[in-house]
Amino acid sequence: MLAQVLFSGLALGSIYGLVAMGFALIFKATDVFNFATGMLVVLGAYLTYTAVAALQLPFAVAIVFIVVGAALVGTVIHVLLIQPLSGQPLLSVIMVTIALSSVLGSVLVMTYGTQGLIVETPLPRGNFVLGGVRVSQLHLIAALTSWACMAGFGAFFRFTSTGLLMRATAAGHEAAVVSGVNVNRMNRLAWAIGSVLAAIGGVFLCQLQMASVELERIGLLALPAVVIGGLQSIPGAVVGGLLVGLIEQLSSTYVSPKSADMFIYGLLLLILLVRPWGLFGQRELGRV
Amino acid sequence: MIAAKLPTGTGHPIRAAAWRWTWRIAGVALLCYLPVVLTQRAAFGVALSNMQLLNLGLTQINLMLIMMLGALSLTYLTGSAGLVSIGHGAFYAVGAMTAAFTGTQLDWPFPLVLVAAAVAGALAGTLAGLPSLRVRGLYLLLATFAMHFIVHFLFSEYQYKSFDVVGVPYKEASLGPLLLSTPMRWYFFLLVLVAVVFALLRNSLRTREGRALMAMRDHELAATAAGIDVRILRVKAFAFSSSIAALAGAVYAYYMTTVTPEFFGILFAIQFIAIIIVGGMGSLAGALAGTALWLLLPSVITGIADQAGGATGALGRVLSVHKPQLVNLIFGLLVIAFLIFAPGGIAAMVRRLRQRFFARAAP
Repeated sequence: MLAQVLFSGLALGSIYGLVAMGFALIFKATDVFNFATGMLVVLGAYLTYTAVAALQLPFAVAIVFIVVGAALVGTVIHVLLIQPLSGQPLLSVIMVTIALSSVLGSVLVMTYGTQGLIVETPLPRGNFVLGGVRVSQLHLIAALTSWACMAGFGAFFRFTSTGLLMRATAAGHEAAVVSGVNVNRMNRLAWAIGSVLAAIGGVFLCQLQMASVELERIGLLALPAVVIGGLQSIPGAVVGGLLVGLIEQLSSTYVSPKSADMFIYGLLLLILLVRPWGLFGQRELGRV
Repeated sequence: MIAAKLPTGTGHPIRAAAWRWTWRIAGVALLCYLPVVLTQRAAFGVALSNMQLLNLGLTQINLMLIMMLGALSLTYLTGSAGLVSIGHGAFYAVGAMTAAFTGTQLDWPFPLVLVAAAVAGALAGTLAGLPSLRVRGLYLLLATFAMHFIVHFLFSEYQYKSFDVVGVPYKEASLGPLLLSTPMRWYFFLLVLVAVVFALLRNSLRTREGRALMAMRDHELAATAAGIDVRILRVKAFAFSSSIAALAGAVYAYYMTTVTPEFFGILFAIQFIAIIIVGGMGSLAGALAGTALWLLLPSVITGIADQAGGATGALGRVLSVHKPQLVNLIFGLLVIAFLIFAPGGIAAMVRRLRQRFFARAAP
């Protein structure tokens, strides 16, 4: 039983880690705490529904559709909402993302209706037994895909020139501008990638549950994941996601279904009080 | 030429004061007559249609007044003290929980329940303010965000353990012999409450501590250098603001007679922030204006939707079926528009208008 719970915790945690990675990327690049991440996950879920159920696209094309759609939305968000608020205080930008999640949610409900939609994809949904543990194929695929994406993007940042430019921009905006980097384009790219990662999380979550606005609650778990892992650390975000997934499954099984929120946010509160920069973050030194 | 016309604004002081008082009395009279108009759906004997009354009923006005308490306390915290909090849903819930415990379980009278709620709110606020001693800005917002979910869970557990699944029930509210049984009685009670809280907050900003609060908001280091104990002040601001929010929560619970934790979800907390942004952070009058807008917007949209619902096919269907989403959508867009184009909110806009049209000429 425990192995079962641990496995599903790690599988879900991989999905959260993926979404958290997108979140951390956006934060590192543009310093924006994107509260709309939850809604972007929901967007991914509804895009999946549209591609697979409404448009009946073949699965490979559907994936492209979802990725392109999410990237487009992310870019538009940056251009319309984040760029105009360049110099504004932090709360304004955070509030814009909160308002954005509200707007996005309303648009999605108005387009798709209030009921949750069931998404059927060609991905296998069966179970198989591995060493006494019942393994859900969907969980396994979700976990593997998440890790593949994380590895892929890790490689992108490490080994491509664009990735290097993005890291440089995130490390120091002014230095990047002086070096001739188109910072706005880098930020747009960061937002596009962050949205795509959140949407991929939504693709899997909507198959594990349903495509509905309720998924926002789950998508928002990326926030404590990132803070626990360390706001400025992308590997930290992944670890945070895994931790959140484990805590969620362990507490739902052994304590009570609703207690997961409390443990996760309680841990968040504890980390904020004791070690605000997270497990893997760097202590922020400010000039006094 | 001493007989030259005096520039506007430097008019006769007694006449100006008389004008101010006339406006004030007219305003109070209007506020007192409003519930009568809404209950009878007629003004001075002339019947008014729903559309003319902006689809408002006394119930909505009462809810607006309850929200005003939260908006006032949040704008005090965020605008005047410079502390960001998404925890007002949690504080309302704390007030509702205290009211359930003292009112329904211990059977205390209503005024005492309100006092208990305020005290509980202050305690919760002190606890919530403690992270602010270590973390700033974004991290404080996160701490209140985390607190929201924790309180939500606790309220849920409390409901299941002590009451039934349907919701937490509350007794009837009565101020001594006076039973708050009709909307009109609630209206006057709430109106007085909002006025008292408004005056309380406004005057507290004019005291030494209030000014210290604003100094802390503007430049914390300079305030510390000036001898202000910033840490204690921050916790005090949190405690004060949340005690008002808890009071509002208790009032809300009694008004609704039954509440569930869903009443105090994250959407509820977000609405307060949206209201104070639209109204203007830090401006008490702005908080009132923002809440009024929050009230009027759904009513106006409902009115338009009802009128257009019959007319155009698809659009009308969308408008009527998805009314709450449309309201959220428009309010969200409004907040975004304000943030991008008018960060000071309604308060700043009014201030600019006032300067342009009623500017006092230089003496």
